[in-house]
Amino acid sequence: MPGRTPESRPEAKPAASQPQTKPAVKPSDVIVKEKVEVVQKEEKPVADKITIGELHLSGCTGCLVTLADNYEGLFKLLDDYADLVYALTLVDVRHVPEMDVCLVEGSCCLNDKISVEELKQARAKSKVVVAYGACAAYGNITRFARGGQWNQPGHEAYVPISEVIDVDLFLPSCPPCPQAIRNVAVMAYLLLKGNDEQKNLATAYLTPLMQLAQRGNEACGCDLMYDVINQGLCMGCGTCAGTCPVRAITMEYGKPNVNRDLCIKCGACYSQCPRSWFNFDVMNNYEGIMDAIKGAMQ
Amino acid sequence: MDVLGNYKSAISARSTDKDILKKSQDGGIITTLFAYALEEGIIDGAIVAGPSDEPWKPEPMVATTKDELLAAAGTRYTISPNLYLIKEATRSYGLDRVGIVGTPCQMQAVRKAQLYPIGMRDVDDKIALALGIYCMENLSYQALEAMVEDHCNQKMESVKKMDIGKGKFTVYTERGAVSQMPLKLIHKYVQPGCNVCLDYVANLADISSGSVGSPDGWSTVFVRSTKGNAVWDGAIAAGCFETKPMDQVKPGLDLVTKLATEKITKNQKNVDARKTMGLKADGTPKGLRNPYETP
Amino acid sequence: MSKVVEISPTTRHEGHSKLVLKVNDDGIIERGDWLSITPVRGVEKLAIGKTMEQVPKIASRVCGICPIAHTLAGVEAMEASIGCEVPEDAKLLRYILQCANRMHSHALHNILSLPDMYIPGTDVKINPFTKEEPVRSVGLRIQRLREIGQTIGEIVGGEAIHPSNPRVGGCYKNITPRAKAKIYDLAKEARVLTQEHMEFMVAVFRNYQNRDWSEVGGVQVPIPDDLGYHNQGYMATAPMYGSSSLDANPTWFPERFTEVRPWDWYMGEVEIDEADPNYPIGGTTPVGNKAWPQMEACTGVPLYDGQPVEVGPRARLVQFKNYDEKGAMGLQIARQMEFPETAYGIIDAVDALDTSGSVLADEIPQGDGTLGWAANEAPRGTDVHLARVKDGRVQYYGMLVPTTWNFPTCSRALTGAPWRLAEVIMRAYDPCVSCATHMLVIDEDKRLVAQKLIQ
Ligand SMILES: Cc1cc2nc3c(=O)[nH]c(=O)nc-3n(C[C@H](O)[C@H](O)[C@H](O)COP(=O)(O)OP(=O)(O)OC[C@H]3O[C@@H](n4cnc5c(N)ncnc54)[C@H](O)[C@@H]3O)c2cc1C
Ligand code: SF4
Ligand code: SF4
Ligand code: SF4
Ligand code: SF4
Repeated sequence: MPGRTPESRPEAKPAASQPQTKPAVKPSDVIVKEKVEVVQKEEKPVADKITIGELHLSGCTGCLVTLADNYEGLFKLLDDYADLVYALTLVDVRHVPEMDVCLVEGSCCLNDKISVEELKQARAKSKVVVAYGACAAYGNITRFARGGQWNQPGHEAYVPISEVIDVDLFLPSCPPCPQAIRNVAVMAYLLLKGNDEQKNLATAYLTPLMQLAQRGNEACGCDLMYDVINQGLCMGCGTCAGTCPVRAITMEYGKPNVNRDLCIKCGACYSQCPRSWFNFDVMNNYEGIMDAIKGAMQ
Repeated sequence: MDVLGNYKSAISARSTDKDILKKSQDGGIITTLFAYALEEGIIDGAIVAGPSDEPWKPEPMVATTKDELLAAAGTRYTISPNLYLIKEATRSYGLDRVGIVGTPCQMQAVRKAQLYPIGMRDVDDKIALALGIYCMENLSYQALEAMVEDHCNQKMESVKKMDIGKGKFTVYTERGAVSQMPLKLIHKYVQPGCNVCLDYVANLADISSGSVGSPDGWSTVFVRSTKGNAVWDGAIAAGCFETKPMDQVKPGLDLVTKLATEKITKNQKNVDARKTMGLKADGTPKGLRNPYETP
Repeated sequence: MSKVVEISPTTRHEGHSKLVLKVNDDGIIERGDWLSITPVRGVEKLAIGKTMEQVPKIASRVCGICPIAHTLAGVEAMEASIGCEVPEDAKLLRYILQCANRMHSHALHNILSLPDMYIPGTDVKINPFTKEEPVRSVGLRIQRLREIGQTIGEIVGGEAIHPSNPRVGGCYKNITPRAKAKIYDLAKEARVLTQEHMEFMVAVFRNYQNRDWSEVGGVQVPIPDDLGYHNQGYMATAPMYGSSSLDANPTWFPERFTEVRPWDWYMGEVEIDEADPNYPIGGTTPVGNKAWPQMEACTGVPLYDGQPVEVGPRARLVQFKNYDEKGAMGLQIARQMEFPETAYGIIDAVDALDTSGSVLADEIPQGDGTLGWAANEAPRGTDVHLARVKDGRVQYYGMLVPTTWNFPTCSRALTGAPWRLAEVIMRAYDPCVSCATHMLVIDEDKRLVAQKLIQ
């Protein structure tokens, strides 16, 4: 049921990120004043866990391995915050169940009935759908697919999942990072089960990732040109080059140069760039939020 | 929170290490703190702006000794993409505790990489010390070249030190010459990305420092985070710095606040102007992308 | 009269596959077809025309569990085609990556196998995620072993999953002495853990071997002594690393390889006429549905010397260590026996590594279209990539990946087992199905592909 709005579904644009309506008059207006209250470890009061599942489509399972790469933290997440109710590789459940959060890994092959069907079921049965990893969000290497290979030469059309269903949140990169999915899982838990303060924090944190899902499902190193340098926003920090998982970016005289013959279209460089988005309301509280997440994982 | 960001204390300080003071830009705060942190095992190495093949063009490098830190001391008024190495430092370099120095925007990048580690696996808890340097604006290498060679009439390779202060850009050559150009001419050369920058004193660093507010050869230091506080206290206890209370130095914190306010106000205007820069068919304004609102 | 049961999708392995089983009145499998139903992303075809640098990066992404195998086989197939010799220290870095990947992958597979097994001396099946002891300590040890493997892979490979450091001609960067020391410490810790862990896991599988029955969906199923036996051959190229067409004495022989299409191998259309809604979890496919393995299978059927062969840990142990234990548990035990060498291999290679040595060839030829191949002993078995590179661009690319070899072999190993244990046999192969969707294919006359390629 795409488009429905469960009470707990995050709003597309929570207040914390509303653009300032009038230009700042004094410098202090520049910084969003609203302080996000940070949850303390002792306050982790919430009794019941959320349910999380992973739907594997045309991906490589690297995204799922990433989740498992929280090592000891995986047990902590599953002990205290989330029940893993679906993930063919890790648990025995065969068919898509109801769940709070569905992580979808891989793009969707339009020529494979099962993929399309399972993806729609995942949407209908989950409160929050996450495009987990570059394949689901942007197509990644499956953007290059063009069929013609035995034993299913007809498998040719691969699309990011948001071509087929509504997606609430993007978590790009190939693969995403264990710490990123950990943070999102903890925040999803606070969003769905927390008190008002915790909900506010989680909403503020998750907002940019939700906005990323609204931005579109095409990504490439070229985004650094189109949406950062061409827009007059690049300041040469080098984050994009440090981020790229295939070393496609070098810094030349302080600006990124993308080797497009290496880029796999994972979207990591752009979303990691501090000039793709930067939410002061969350970042100014980085210390508290990091401590809170650390506390939650202990 | 105001334009100076959260901080636990503001101090005027100068390194007690003569070797460092000879090479450093101002009070040698950054180099001294890293040297102390290396010694104490707080960091295994620090990402700094190292030398490259071209004069005054910095190349990010991982320094693991005091000698390497010294080779990278002093300010290069052009981009050093230090974040380029932040992941690699934890990989082939094998660092578990990474130090990094950078401009305010680079400190923002560090915090984003920690809070939203999208393509930055296993980096977040390895950032052991992030040191910020104040920054009004930065220049492309070619812009710096034009300023030094055209406006100041000096060869890049003959320059010993560059400095910005008291309304002037100054170059000192190896042979003792001093040339200057007024800062108001600099505007054309500033890299465009700096025009939307809303941070002057590296609000998100653990400790940030710059010359403004303190006397020549001294630095103004903001100790910001819990981590920064612990490192600063340790360094003071170890006798790394001479210090003076901020309210007893001239020109003092007021000047820092004034400059920060000017920068942020000006750049906030730029950010706002972008919202209405273009024109739609119906006559209403068409805006450019605003990174502070949406991706 | 035999009846048809379908288990779809199968669980606790990578990717999507299913089992179509003809069973007799006692529920014993007379013929089993195990096939991939994962969409074919077609990496071999999309590779054509791309640069030799990019293709291994794409090939890595067919599998996130053994990405190192695909990266290395991909890079080395390019090097084999262009005739590029790689510096010794780059080879050592790659060897470390290989060991690190096997350590993590085998440990991950333990999590997937354990739920079929029993805590020795009890009738309690193991839930690897439970907080209860003794399982939690085992779970933590598995995760620590994975952490060590992935961390070493990350230091040397740049990324823990999909390594970015290996490249055509060697590696981008050598590691520093500090990184070397760190790897050494981690591997020393792993040396102890792998030994302990191997002993524990072998005991668990032996315990299963000695049991009379296993409970599946409320039914007590007898465990036959010859669970998962087959009479197929084995194929392996090295105990740890692999071989390539640049070797003086290659250990894989393209001319011994042929392939048939699923049309000639798998069952035709069948109707499901037996089902068990209590089969965990979600039941088997309801009666009345149809299955058509011939049409649905997403891989071809590769043959070596004209027959399906087994690849993987047991194949390596049979070829190089005189191992002879058959069956599903024999394979599981062989896998555990590979654990210690992953740690020792890292220690030896890191000892030999010169951190100031160059890791990139001085000259990287751009290729003249010669066919080159590289075989890598992935955790699940021999992974052969073949390539032709001309002027830096890929003209032809083929991937003969481990699970593709194992599909037909395992299908034969199902015969004679109770159908409710079919997944237990399948899981012994540690299937990795997404990569298995990539496959060389012969021409219409079913002539030897390899011979044609080599001409
Ligand atoms: C572009 C730019 C603009 C600046 N603007 C101001 C200003 O308006 N007001 C003010 O008070 N201070 C400004 N500074 C900071 C000032 O110039 C000194 O860097 C600072 O006071 C530190 O001096 P120090 O003696 O403590 O550090 P040092 O011991 O000299 O160490 C400086 C460290 O910064 C690193 N570094 C040098 N250049 C760069 C670079 N381009 N990018 C990243 N890291 C670099 C060096 O590698 C070294 O580790 C600016 C610095 C830069 C790079
Ligand atoms: S995003 Fe990368 S890791 Fe995830 S499924 Fe796609 S290829 Fe694999
Ligand atoms: S340049 Fe690199 S990080 Fe950016 S989209 Fe391409 S592969 Fe991803
Ligand atoms: S991360 Fe963004 S701002 Fe930084 S160098 Fe890259 S494009 Fe420029
Ligand atoms: S002015 Fe801002 S954006 Fe420009 S270099 Fe300095 S901190 Fe970065």
